[in-house]
Amino acid sequence: MSDKVVPIIKLYDYLIVPIQIELDDITVEKLQMQLLNEISAKKARGVILDVSMVDVIDSYISYVLSETAAMAKAMGCHTVICKIQPNVALTLAQMGIKLENVYTANSLESALEILNQLD
Amino acid sequence: MIKVKNINDFSVDTEDYDLVLKIRQEADIAVARQMVKDFAKKNGFSLADVTKIATVVSELSRNIQRYAKKGYICARKKHGKDGNVLLEVLAYDNGPGIKDVELAVTGGYTTSQRSLGLGLSGVRRLMDTFKIISEEGKGTIVITEIRRRTF
Ligand SMILES: Nc1ncnc2c1ncn2[C@@H]1O[C@H](COP(=O)(O)OP(=O)(O)OP(=O)(O)O)[C@@H](O)[C@H]1O
Ligand SMILES: [Mg+2]
Repeated sequence: MSDKVVPIIKLYDYLIVPIQIELDDITVEKLQMQLLNEISAKKARGVILDVSMVDVIDSYISYVLSETAAMAKAMGCHTVICKIQPNVALTLAQMGIKLENVYTANSLESALEILNQLD
Repeated sequence: MIKVKNINDFSVDTEDYDLVLKIRQEADIAVARQMVKDFAKKNGFSLADVTKIATVVSELSRNIQRYAKKGYICARKKHGKDGNVLLEVLAYDNGPGIKDVELAVTGGYTTSQRSLGLGLSGVRRLMDTFKIISEEGKGTIVITEIRRRTF
């Protein structure tokens, strides 16, 4: 079993990560490791997580995403969560869950814009 | 398969449920989520409610796996008094139980290291009814329902 769970696309100093897998505990942990390794290896200054394919984000996944973003920040890398499904956003809001340490965007373009403005 | 379980004089007969899913390992969480999701879709729940239901199953089955190691997720369609259709999700385990149930359903309380402690409180906020029965050393049952909304 590979430890790489997502494809990672490099663009300028940024990493674009389409998440096309079910995020269970094991994959979300692997995702965290893979991201942090790539951020370090590629010296990325921004990472865009495209979650448009993710149809469940629960409290544990939220925790790990926020934790990953905090670790990335400590490595000098900002995190943008992009294209969260409306029903997922609704569910998170109703549960009182806030994604911490991340920026959010509704398109890849605006995600890139956010990162550009941070520099 | 008939199983009658008992916690605090509350018994569950798995025979009464349309879906009975064992939670034994990590991979069972994704399966349970998918099965209950399909069941809700098939029974005409809106996409917004299907997302909520899938999230609820995710929270409850993860709690089973994390705190009790094994247990069951059950689901069934019910008819309310007013003719409404309801979907019930029940989580059952024979794990350590919860010492202070009130505290556990208060958002932000957790006994885990890397957690928000927003699972049970979140489930309560997503669903229309919520009941938790727990006895230390015996186990935990969470019963929760959501009404089918018509637009
Ligand atoms: N099935 C269970 N058996 C025993 N204890 C439980 C069970 N479910 C929950 N608990 C207890 O209740 C607490 C709150 O549960 P809750 O799901 O709200 O948060 P969590 O699991 O700690 O974190 P999160 O769900 O946000 O990742 C847990 O920390 C645990 O102590
Ligand atoms: Mg939990």
